[in-house]
Amino acid sequence: MRANGISLFVVLLAFTISCNNRKDNNPADKQSSVTSSDSKAERFSIEKNDSCTILTIIDPWQGAEGVRHVYYLTERGKTSSIKADASHIIPVPVRKIICMSSTHIAMISALGEMESISGISGTDYIYNTALKLKADDGLISEIGYDSGINSEMILKLNPDLIMMYGIGSESAGYVGKISELGIKIMYNADYLETDPLGKAEWIKVFGALYGKEKLADSIYNAISKSYNDIKSYISENTVTRPAVLLGLPFRDTWFISPGNSYISTLISDAGGTYLWQDTKSSASMPFSLETVYMKSLGADYWLNAGTVSSKREIASFDPRLEKIPCYISGEIYNNTKRTSPGGGNDYWESGTLNPQIILSDIASILHPGILGDYELYYYMKIE
Amino acid sequence: MSIKKNDLPGRSKPLIFIIMGFLLVLIFILDLFLGSVNIRPAEVIRAIFRDTGSDIETIVMQFRLPKAITSVFVGIALSLSGLQMQTIFRNPLAGPYILGVSSGASLGVAIVILGFSSGLVLSGLQGFGNWILVISAWAGAGAVMMLIMFISSRLRDIMTILILGIMLASGLTAIVSIMQYFSSESMLKAYVIWTMGSLGNLSSGQLNVLVISVSTGIFISILSIKRLNALLLGENYAGSMGLNVKASRTIVFVCTSILAGSVTAFCGPIGFIGIAVPHIVRNIFKTSDHAILVPGSILAGGIVMTASDIVSQLPGSESVLPINSVTSLIGIPVVIWIILRNRNNSVLF
Repeated sequence: MRANGISLFVVLLAFTISCNNRKDNNPADKQSSVTSSDSKAERFSIEKNDSCTILTIIDPWQGAEGVRHVYYLTERGKTSSIKADASHIIPVPVRKIICMSSTHIAMISALGEMESISGISGTDYIYNTALKLKADDGLISEIGYDSGINSEMILKLNPDLIMMYGIGSESAGYVGKISELGIKIMYNADYLETDPLGKAEWIKVFGALYGKEKLADSIYNAISKSYNDIKSYISENTVTRPAVLLGLPFRDTWFISPGNSYISTLISDAGGTYLWQDTKSSASMPFSLETVYMKSLGADYWLNAGTVSSKREIASFDPRLEKIPCYISGEIYNNTKRTSPGGGNDYWESGTLNPQIILSDIASILHPGILGDYELYYYMKIE
Repeated sequence: MSIKKNDLPGRSKPLIFIIMGFLLVLIFILDLFLGSVNIRPAEVIRAIFRDTGSDIETIVMQFRLPKAITSVFVGIALSLSGLQMQTIFRNPLAGPYILGVSSGASLGVAIVILGFSSGLVLSGLQGFGNWILVISAWAGAGAVMMLIMFISSRLRDIMTILILGIMLASGLTAIVSIMQYFSSESMLKAYVIWTMGSLGNLSSGQLNVLVISVSTGIFISILSIKRLNALLLGENYAGSMGLNVKASRTIVFVCTSILAGSVTAFCGPIGFIGIAVPHIVRNIFKTSDHAILVPGSILAGGIVMTASDIVSQLPGSESVLPINSVTSLIGIPVVIWIILRNRNNSVLF
């Protein structure tokens, strides 16, 4: 049973990776695609009618409520009769794009459209080797961060679309200026999705933007199937549900991810129990160190402890952390195995599109040996 | 401007001191009993007096006790340095940070958190943990105070020093703003959290350093009582009475930088206490005599800071509030009430 599960997993993994690398420009690819009712993504919806594709981005930043950005994706070269704000009519396929987050890179390159990326926010933090080389050669421009955004560079690049990473209304100020100059902006809310598959499903948005809906669908379906297969394999083959502690304190405050977060879902699907599984919040919650310390006494594993690379580093932040049982037993794992010298972490880049690998990582941490001699991909043990 | 004494009947002052002393002990004990984790009072007492090695003991002895001690010393340090700054500048708006001590410390911390957030510097310093923040804050605060003292030794007029100090502080704040502007979101958050202050992050070694430096500051302050009373009459008058004005200034500045500098280094720039507590004490005792104000500020500072710490822990809930907001939110109504009740505050300067 177990051996079957492992081989199934490996096959699915290989399939997903091969999809990621597939370059497909087949016109037959451009078929109708509509987000189905079993969609996991909560922050966007896609509808298709005769003249265009209607893409709706829902509550694209933390704390947003009732915000709907509707975009009309029309076929490039055809005059459209849609009566809407011109900044919300986007001719597809998009040929030139600026990405404000590294998660967008992975999805675009999975669709074989890496050539379309002309600017990135935070080129230093790119993990993807091919893209990093292009950035180093000056073929991809640095756009800057948040309010330090380089508007003139954006104007010079004149992209078809800027894929934003919404940080709230305060960023809307400079966004307004750029869109006033006729450059189209779309907020990407993948980082707000609480379901790992919902996050990966955002590839469908890029599919619609590049006119590669079918390829996007097939990539997503492969990820989804693989993820669900691993998830049910884990639930069938595990009895215990180890308790998991997450994060690191900042001074005497420990910001705790709520139970309705992306990582909490992953832990649960990987056969674990997150210590704050029952909490609900739209942002991380500031808890006192003594509360978290008390609760951490019941933890079996400690994941995502900041960006530390050694136990000594954790102790240097606060020597009291040495008393946490996971510290003593050494069961501390960080998602920093694939980090570039510049500080880019592939967990946040390709990880968005590989929830099934993250799931396998966490499952084999929480249940050693459940996936055979599976080698951790994003995670590593902190010694 | 004159030393105003003996508005209260002679006997009530010792009584007020006794009440304040009792209150400080009470609040200190309460701080050990109240926290986010609910622990029964009997268990707290057992944890303090018996070496049980239990988790409750860890919470009380490793988390709450150091935090309560820190609160008391931070309160004392900020109140005393605020008092001396208000006296030397004869300005009720002066406080521990008026000359840029906290701006200097902030710049030091900003350079570490924001400036080198992605570079090699921080990784080269890994293993030092929070000591690196403490050292950088101290270096920043120290550099600012050295500069102020250098200026002070060359200038006669104290108001010129005040204005230069405020300018320097604004300049440093502007540099920090530029660094904030260019930093990434997560680093910005780390920096902002530092500016909100925290009392519970000191290791035992750091607590020792804090206690020793604040005690030194208290000692210097007590020795300075006569000098401060003379300075209250104005520098010219104090000079004519035979006081070495420049030397006195230097002593006050050194004392303030030790007190406010170490608090900022270990706990971040905790606001409000330093400005408010001296006013509260002046109004309680109705005096401007430093022989009363110095011990009064020591007690009141400890009480207000420890009470703020209890509130910031929101006993019974898992969440916490940043200490800096709590000191302001509790303190402002108190000060407004006292100031309005006693409409003649300028008499106390």
